[in-house]
Amino acid sequence: MDPIAQLFFILTGVPNTLLISVFAFFLGFALGVPLAFIRAYGGTIPRLIVDGYEKLARGVPVLVMMLFLYFGVGRYVPFFRDAFISSVVALGLRSGAHQSQIFRGAIRGIGEGQMMAARSLGLTKLQAIRHVILPQTFIAATPGLGVEYALLIKDSSLAFLLGVIEMMKKAEILMRATRSTVIPYFGAAFFYIMLTFPIATYLDRWGSRKKRELGI
Amino acid sequence: MTEVVLKAKNLWKDYGNVVALKGVSLEVKEGEVKVLFGPSGSGKSTLLRCLAMLTIPTKGEVYLRGECLTSPGVDLNKARARIGFVFQNILLFHHLTALENVTLGLRHVLGMSKEEAEKKAMEALREVRMEKWAHCYPAHLSGGQQQRVGIARALAMDPEVILFDEPTSSLDPELTGEVLDTIRMLAKEGRTMVIATHEMLFAREAADEMIFMDEGKIVEVGPPEHFFTNPSNERVKRFMARLLEKRAWWE
Repeated sequence: MDPIAQLFFILTGVPNTLLISVFAFFLGFALGVPLAFIRAYGGTIPRLIVDGYEKLARGVPVLVMMLFLYFGVGRYVPFFRDAFISSVVALGLRSGAHQSQIFRGAIRGIGEGQMMAARSLGLTKLQAIRHVILPQTFIAATPGLGVEYALLIKDSSLAFLLGVIEMMKKAEILMRATRSTVIPYFGAAFFYIMLTFPIATYLDRWGSRKKRELGI
Repeated sequence: MTEVVLKAKNLWKDYGNVVALKGVSLEVKEGEVKVLFGPSGSGKSTLLRCLAMLTIPTKGEVYLRGECLTSPGVDLNKARARIGFVFQNILLFHHLTALENVTLGLRHVLGMSKEEAEKKAMEALREVRMEKWAHCYPAHLSGGQQQRVGIARALAMDPEVILFDEPTSSLDPELTGEVLDTIRMLAKEGRTMVIATHEMLFAREAADEMIFMDEGKIVEVGPPEHFFTNPSNERVKRFMARLLEKRAWWE
């Protein structure tokens, strides 16, 4: 196999790498946004629960969570017998904790004044969150979300241990076939950088510029 | 007899150990302009926030046209929509243009359509002479322009009373003039207003009544001339002397 063909072989793993990461990102987003608002505006007990979740989800290594879901929970819940799904959920649960923290930081940066100004017009708390706090939170959180996206792309490589055919698995197959580590591992490393760096940098620049322009 | 728009009865507010208001009562009549002044930490901001029910008083009652806002079960969102509030640190919504800042309440609280709200908002912006900047974001406006949009945002809701919490104290001296001119114009229109400010020359011409607060209490009340000629309380005398001295030094 010539080197170019080898690189193309690694690239065929990219769709699954992206799918795992993007699904995990949206799962984390769906969890993280409400959790952040509970931590910022909720009562004491809901806040403690969210805090506990964050500590747990960040404390357990993703690989341990993947194995636990796939082999442990999967034994009783057929849904998790799929390696792809277990990988996505494990990454998504941790990402939810990360994103909750990213969004909470963004909410805190916006300050209580914006909420008070909205309430002074007669908006309900939910309306104020929907129309005033949320849009600013998304802008303020963009740079952090870029970092989280990059983390997910990189950690999606762990899914190969469950047998998901993504980029890392392709590199592994290639390594066994060619009995060489140079192209498989350098190639994979290069493609991981290409998948993470441009997008994370773009989101960081866009978010920082927008924040500066709007004075958030 | 002119109707009482807003009334506070024996208001108390404490934040943990700090007691910010200690039994404040006042009445604001239709078309009246009241100026609140006093040293920082005297409770002016807390009083205004309690009057607008943005902060819930620990004890005491607030009445808006006779309706008790501090009794349980009152729809505070409806009440807040009837009371305009202009903030010391302006607090425009950063992610919205000047026009959108003004339409937000019109659309989502008063339920106007987009076109209706924009028409009404443009009228309000015209009134504060900001219609040219309707499509600018707050960050692109000067502090004085931002505060005029803040006033338009409150004004557009057709509030029955507007409360101003030191509207010029976060602004450069050159920018305070344009904001004070706007408030003067509102006073001429006969708007009901309560204004916390240390701009004594402005207070002297615009206020119907001035209220001196210290340590969470109302210390002295009277027409502006009373404070400029012979305030009775020692604390007030010292405060006035210092304010006027500072003014003399500026000029």
